[in-house]
Amino acid sequence: MAAPKLNVSDVAALARLTLTPEETEKFSAQLGQILGHMETLGQIATANVPEVTPPAQPALRKDVPTPSLSVEAALSNAPAQANDLIFVPKIVE
Amino acid sequence: MSLAHETLASLRRRLAAKEIHPRDIVKDLFTQIDAREKTLHAYTHLNRESALAAAEKADLSLPLGGIPIAIKDNLNVLGDPCTCSSKILEGYKAPYDATAIARLRQAGAFFLGRTNMDEFAMGSSTENSALGVTRNPWDPTRIPGGSSGGSAAAVAGRIALAALGSDTGGSIRQPAALCGCVGLKPTYGRISRYGLVAFASSLDQIGPLTRTVEDSALLLSALAGHDPRDNTTDLRKPETFLTKPDGSVKGLRIGLPKEYFLPGMDAETEGSVRAAAEWFKKNGATVGEVSLPHTPAAIAVYYILATAEASANLARFDGVRYGRRATDARDVLDLYQRSRSEGFGAEVKRRIILGTFVLSQGYADAYYRRAQKVRGLLREDFEKAFTQCDLLLTPTSPEPAFRLGERNQDPLKMYLADVFTISTNLAGNGAISLPCGFTQSSLPIGLQLIGPRFGEETILRAAHAFEQSHDFWERMPPS
Amino acid sequence: MSSSGTWEAVIGLEVHVQLRTQTKMFCGCINHYGDAPTTHVCPVCLGLPGSLPVPNEEAIRKTILTGLMLGCKIAPVARFDRKNYFYPDMPKNYQISQFDDPLCAGGGVGLDPFLFPKEIQDTDEAKAGRTIRLTRIHLEEDVAKSFHFEDRSGIDFNRAGTPLMEIVSEADLRTPGEAFAFLGSLRQVLLSGNVSDADMEKGQMRCDVNVSVRPVGQKEFGTKVELKNLNSISGVRRALTYEIARQIAACGKGEAIAHETRRWDDEAGATFTMRTKEKAHDYRYFPDPDLLPVRTDQGLMEAARTELPELPAALQARLAKDFGVTAYQASVLASDRVLCAYFEKAAAGTSHKAMVANWILNDFLATQPDPTTTPVQPGFFAELADLVAGGTINSAQAKKVFAELIANPTSPKALVKKLGLEQISDSSALGTYCDEAIAANPRSVEDYRAGKTNAINALKGFVMKKSQGKANPVQIDEILKVKLSA
Repeated sequence: MAAPKLNVSDVAALARLTLTPEETEKFSAQLGQILGHMETLGQIATANVPEVTPPAQPALRKDVPTPSLSVEAALSNAPAQANDLIFVPKIVE
Repeated sequence: MSLAHETLASLRRRLAAKEIHPRDIVKDLFTQIDAREKTLHAYTHLNRESALAAAEKADLSLPLGGIPIAIKDNLNVLGDPCTCSSKILEGYKAPYDATAIARLRQAGAFFLGRTNMDEFAMGSSTENSALGVTRNPWDPTRIPGGSSGGSAAAVAGRIALAALGSDTGGSIRQPAALCGCVGLKPTYGRISRYGLVAFASSLDQIGPLTRTVEDSALLLSALAGHDPRDNTTDLRKPETFLTKPDGSVKGLRIGLPKEYFLPGMDAETEGSVRAAAEWFKKNGATVGEVSLPHTPAAIAVYYILATAEASANLARFDGVRYGRRATDARDVLDLYQRSRSEGFGAEVKRRIILGTFVLSQGYADAYYRRAQKVRGLLREDFEKAFTQCDLLLTPTSPEPAFRLGERNQDPLKMYLADVFTISTNLAGNGAISLPCGFTQSSLPIGLQLIGPRFGEETILRAAHAFEQSHDFWERMPPS
Repeated sequence: MSSSGTWEAVIGLEVHVQLRTQTKMFCGCINHYGDAPTTHVCPVCLGLPGSLPVPNEEAIRKTILTGLMLGCKIAPVARFDRKNYFYPDMPKNYQISQFDDPLCAGGGVGLDPFLFPKEIQDTDEAKAGRTIRLTRIHLEEDVAKSFHFEDRSGIDFNRAGTPLMEIVSEADLRTPGEAFAFLGSLRQVLLSGNVSDADMEKGQMRCDVNVSVRPVGQKEFGTKVELKNLNSISGVRRALTYEIARQIAACGKGEAIAHETRRWDDEAGATFTMRTKEKAHDYRYFPDPDLLPVRTDQGLMEAARTELPELPAALQARLAKDFGVTAYQASVLASDRVLCAYFEKAAAGTSHKAMVANWILNDFLATQPDPTTTPVQPGFFAELADLVAGGTINSAQAKKVFAELIANPTSPKALVKKLGLEQISDSSALGTYCDEAIAANPRSVEDYRAGKTNAINALKGFVMKKSQGKANPVQIDEILKVKLSA
């Protein structure tokens, strides 16, 4: 496994995080170290890994309604709500 | 003696005999809390009024009737805050009960308060809490372990009788070891995760932190069992654990994984753990060496898979439906970025970035998929080992509690200390940590017993036998 | 057929279908459209911390059924994956979907000739009888619904978590007409299996289109453009017609086609560039650790098989063969199973089945009936058919009876008596009417005798009028012809 190119800013953006320049620098160094440790995986032979057979009876749910939250409970932690809707800044396609 | 110093089992007997009333227990606990909580800071929230009210209505005919439990701050308790020790969940109040909480209620228990933790369970020292650090009751300049540090400190510090924690890579067992109490991580699928704020879905398990193994079994019996709300819970019939322990370990086959006893490890830790192995041998168990050959890869596998799952599990914290929302957001992107960046601490951000990276296009095969394969090999290691022995015996932590602030700038070093607990989560087996000694400076040392999957009864019987033949469990930290 | 001789369009469709289940895909909240906002939500579909998904068995069964109906291969083990992206209508900022191991693979949708747009049903394109191949069918959860106001957007999570089946076609379609027929034919199959109501206007079926053009004969595909915001089956056709023309025009000028997503504006009648993203989404798919793999070979497949309906094509063939209905009538009946069942009951009681079909598909249907609750017994049609065939009433009278039947549903025999509609078949009475007609219409008589055979119609009309429509038309035809040739 070649040393990976982890661009902290790009990946942070994927995760909707913005980092300060100090954080970016610090994380780059720390994550670089951590990824370095993960190089060990490259040496392990993974050709004969046993397949995990899924259990015979998956516990699926019957199509029968169960109680929902009341509107108040559902919106009780909403930072911005009105007319029983949760509001966010205008979504532009 | 304060009722706060007693075990659940003994309190249940005294309640039944009408020697004491549940309100006496609550009052004693709060007296202890008032004396020591300022130093320990084990709690993020206390249920003073509701605990007293519940004590008055306790139904003593139930298995945990009259018993107050402390709850790690990542478990939903209807109407209580649920912060996961994070700023991003400031003000959040749980609109539902976790299944584990509902089961405790059904068993007659009620809730004393909520305990501090590493933010979103990410950490091994509780220093990553956004709500302040928790201190080890044995030495307040040291960490209690993490991420269930608050639960362990409260139980060991006699300001809780018992607590619930969660364990993803050792987060129940390691703090139990560092604080000198009992911590059980059940087999994956034993206890429902519905209502536990997810860190890593394929690794998380809820478990009890208690003073004794018997108390641990009591809680496990109340909590375990299939939950239709959690697709990953096992379908086997409910059982009651440790009902008739005979204290014997005759014939038990104990395996010592050679990868867990490396040259240069902490001498006092190794000494105590080997002495424990000797005890088993002296009492009729056979003790031999086994191998878990893929152990050196475990940390890498864990930090790839756990962070990958976490990066998705924590995506929901975006300021839209709940939690802290950044003010005056320009647009949705700004709302996401600022709410999350302002709300999450450094360790959480680090892990989200790492987890996002190992799943990203071009890297997922080399990291995520490869780690999944090696996980399969680790699982196989355990299965093979358990054809040769009934239990594995290891140290829980490579060293006793280090000092606060000593390591929090070196995340890799912090991760490497998880080496003895992490594989168990990856394989899905159950394991317990219990006290097996103290250092010269009176710091607790923990012994870990790992069982085959769904082998909790074997684990508990062996642990109970060891515990009751020693007095480690009775030692109390300095007041 | 492509619009310009040298270019052809290559079209693939991605159809999302909301399943007709009681509850949502991963929780027990009610799956119902149109209720007050935030009334069908729970910790799971709201994405609250600590919530966990549990799959809806019925949704899985309906997806397997769809796969069986469309000739797909059903996976023995199917898995759910997390599709990771951030959007305010996403409760978890990942969607539980299927990536590597979908429930169904392959299969195809036959294009029903009668489901092409009416004006092109008579073309080779419609009559070609093509089957469009499918790539896969998988199961996922729907997102919440947003409402956009001037400076903010409001989100209702009722829809979040609705079971959604994604049906992906191969790029086998070549014309907007085929796309129109594909959606209609697919919808028929879904209705027949009671899988979904698939009404595009209610959002129960949504369609995204991928379209490119290439010179006829070229193997390589042209640059693909994705079209969104298609809200009806005819809208899909209009959008494709516009876009194909746009692409051909651009290619003709030597312009490059941008690989982008365009939004169809039905009012403006054109597609427009949506905000383009430079990079394709990195969804970072991975297996959802909260969900066990689903084994379809432990009873789910068998359960789905028991629900297999008679497929539209088979039903149409049987109706044509056993009931003598036209291909068009068969297609109408096959598109409405409830009506079809009613028809089959009605036609069972008489050998004049085609007559019953006409009444049901014309007169009866015009009254917008509910065949399950209508007081018009299926048996009445058989009775009516036999009355006409036996000569008791003629077809014009039958229409009168029918109108009365709708108003007062009772036995047609009784109604005929009540309305005094018995056809007059007595030859002497009819003969009198014919004599009157001949006397009153000398010009027509002259024309007829001069060789204009159609002139007899005026005489017949006179007789029908005089007899208040009761004269037996076959008999007066005979009687008039005899008298006129005398």
